[in-house]
Amino acid sequence: MKRVLPPVIPFVVITLVLEWVVRSGFVPSYLVPAPSAVLRALFDSRGELAAAMGKTSSAALIGFALSTLIGIAIAVLLSSSRAVQRAFYPYAVFFQTVPIIAVAPLLVIWFGYGMKTVIASAFIVSIFPVIANTLTGLRSTDPALRDLFRLYGASATVTLVKLRFPAALPQILTGLRVASGLAVIGAIVGEFIGGQGLGSVVDVARTQQRVDKVFAAVLLASILGLALFGLINLISALTLRRWHASEQGS
Amino acid sequence: MGACGAMLAACGKPAKIRLALNWKPDPQFGGFYAAPYDKHGLDVEILPGGAGTPTVQMIGAGSAEFGIVSADELVVARARGNDVVALFAVFQNCPQGIMAHASRHLASIGDVLKEGTLAIQRGLPYARILEKKYGFDHVKVVPSPGGDISAFLRDEKFAQQCFVMSEPLQAKHAGVDVTVFPVADIGYNPYTTVLATSGAQLKSNPDRAKSMVAAVREGWRVYLDDPKPTNSHMHDLNPSMDAAAFAEVAEAQKPFIEPHQETTQLGSMTAERWATLIGQLADLGDIPQAIPAQDCFRNL
Repeated sequence: MKRVLPPVIPFVVITLVLEWVVRSGFVPSYLVPAPSAVLRALFDSRGELAAAMGKTSSAALIGFALSTLIGIAIAVLLSSSRAVQRAFYPYAVFFQTVPIIAVAPLLVIWFGYGMKTVIASAFIVSIFPVIANTLTGLRSTDPALRDLFRLYGASATVTLVKLRFPAALPQILTGLRVASGLAVIGAIVGEFIGGQGLGSVVDVARTQQRVDKVFAAVLLASILGLALFGLINLISALTLRRWHASEQGS
Repeated sequence: MGACGAMLAACGKPAKIRLALNWKPDPQFGGFYAAPYDKHGLDVEILPGGAGTPTVQMIGAGSAEFGIVSADELVVARARGNDVVALFAVFQNCPQGIMAHASRHLASIGDVLKEGTLAIQRGLPYARILEKKYGFDHVKVVPSPGGDISAFLRDEKFAQQCFVMSEPLQAKHAGVDVTVFPVADIGYNPYTTVLATSGAQLKSNPDRAKSMVAAVREGWRVYLDDPKPTNSHMHDLNPSMDAAAFAEVAEAQKPFIEPHQETTQLGSMTAERWATLIGQLADLGDIPQAIPAQDCFRNL
């Protein structure tokens, strides 16, 4: 209760204030929909929205999973030597600066309309934080522990698996938290251009001036982002609680 | 304010008026860029837009005094309580259509939907009229790529929504023959590129709206007669569209703009046309019930 109550109170207050502001006519409903109108849109279009949510969730999840696997793999490779890092890290940074809105139309040409384009878009925007954070983590292993491993003649692989990777987990999980939200954004942007999912619902509803439905779809996208974020937090708690300060105590 | 136009010096500096466009400067706005606003005592700032610029909401919210909307948008907005009024309709006939590869030898818009891919904004009323009439069961419907025709060029079975005087010309330049099916063929023909303002503006400042319409009407006459100087100005503002395309589109759009009867003025509208549109939108369920046609527009 102590954990649930603090975020619920502002939510309830803001919702009630918004409802009142729109109902009393301070803000016209064609600019901001009343929360009750959004709820009604959620209910009225539940079939369509559920199907769209399913598509967006799968695309965001697959894109996010690919970012996690490939991002961590790339970071491990980059951390193997200074020279490799110098040669390839700039290209990893490139992914962070890709303006996805500008590139998305090209994705359609490469991958065609539909799921593949959406997954690619989610992947592109979410991989960089995974690479950057994993790399930082892998490079900041405690030198004393590394010396200890060397002293006992541990191989590079053993050092990676038993020491450097576990020690980097807090940073890796931070990267994944950032990436989880970005994957949802990437999926929605991909859907604007590739068609399907919540992105397509937003696009159509906007053309029809259905702000209530736009907000309903946006609400679902946020819930998806929150769920992914929660998943990472769960993994974080399970893996770190025995040894890392961030998951212990208060 | 009416007298203000003539005695500008006496009235001091005119207040700045914002005109929000729903796309980048291009020939469909030629007359707005050519209009002699000064002469009518107006100081107009034109705000270029982009894909999805919500001009109809901007007008309602007062973040622009005037804006460019399409007639169907305006009807839906009014039905939702956004009091927006049309003042001047540039395109008397809807310049939107579906273009397909000529090599497919399609006879009608219905044939386009029998196979292949159609890129269209599904939220648009005419897209849904098409769906109702022919069904989208045999065609793969994908989002419209805006003015981009690269997917179209690569795939013979690809058709896309277009402005009749824009994308088909691009395709022709790229060496692809096209067949264009105007949306008006299925009986859907809303006024397009419509100058609009809010009911509140119209009430508080009727003379200014009148001056605006007069300036715009003059601008369109100038632009239709000689688009060259305005085109070169708009090309400076929007260099991504090349100069030749400006000239070509300006020529191709003329038949959609010039009124068919000599007696009608540029930009004027009729209640019958609005009523037809309102009926179509009510049938589609875009508006809960029909709204009065005469409230939608004002011929000033």
